[in-house]
Amino acid sequence: MHIPDGYLSPSTVIATYTLAIPLWVYGFKKLKQSLNEETMPLIGALSALSFIIMMFNIPIPGGTSGHAVGATLIAILFNPWIGFISVSLVLLIQSVIFGDGGISALATNSLGMAFVGSFVGYYIFKLLKGKKFAPFIAGWSGIVASSVIIALILGIQPFWNENGKPLYFPFDLETTIPALVGSHMAFFGIVEGIFTQLVYNTIRKKEWIKKDF
Amino acid sequence: MDKKRLLIILIILFILLPLGLLTEYSAWGEWDNEVYKQMIGFIPEGIKNAKSFAIIPDYGEGSVIMYYLSALLGGAILFGFFYFLAKTNKHETN
Repeated sequence: MHIPDGYLSPSTVIATYTLAIPLWVYGFKKLKQSLNEETMPLIGALSALSFIIMMFNIPIPGGTSGHAVGATLIAILFNPWIGFISVSLVLLIQSVIFGDGGISALATNSLGMAFVGSFVGYYIFKLLKGKKFAPFIAGWSGIVASSVIIALILGIQPFWNENGKPLYFPFDLETTIPALVGSHMAFFGIVEGIFTQLVYNTIRKKEWIKKDF
Repeated sequence: MDKKRLLIILIILFILLPLGLLTEYSAWGEWDNEVYKQMIGFIPEGIKNAKSFAIIPDYGEGSVIMYYLSALLGGAILFGFFYFLAKTNKHETN
């Protein structure tokens, strides 16, 4: 889901940055409020976990691969703003240092993978409060929702063309939706769900669960 | 939250990192430019003209050692960022 540079039209880049910048500013404030000696190592470690889990490329039938993201996990352990900012930061590092995802696409990738992944996962989790498999379903829903955003933004790119010849990403919604959303529903969503559930169950202390639910 | 267990999970995944290199398949849509030529007969202008300024392209392009170092670098930057942000926070609240 890491859209590279050159895939998005300038109008898309401007529109997505216009939407993302105020969200980053607000989320950054929220993150700062939550950071203290107790939460700092946890948020740091969960962000590192998101960075690392994205390095596990999993092949699927059809000749493509993908990976989990880890945004929902941070969102349900802390709150969705922290998930959003932490994963945006992961995406920034991936893009600038490792060329994974474009700088022009950073706003799109952050809105999809970090923002929507965190918030959808968080609210699904809240909805299923106390259910045993809430983290799995939240993780699955979060990453599938992310893939919808990425598929939509990619799929409208053929609109910018020269005599019908696409200037940017050439495939339309009819291709991007089944390819991206379908593969995340069937494969990477399951991986994200298992990851979210396993880590959540492993690190969440029992007294916390009693207190919250 | 159990910090020790979180650290153990991080260490286990870190050790297993080379598994992430096993597949040759690209992510959907993240293809080499040549793939576009094969699929649609041309490389769209925007994609053709895109430049990459990555310091360590593609996490070291398949090298296991570079893959490990990339993860360490990424983790270090993230921890560093949160550490300094927490520090400035403390100053402000004092």
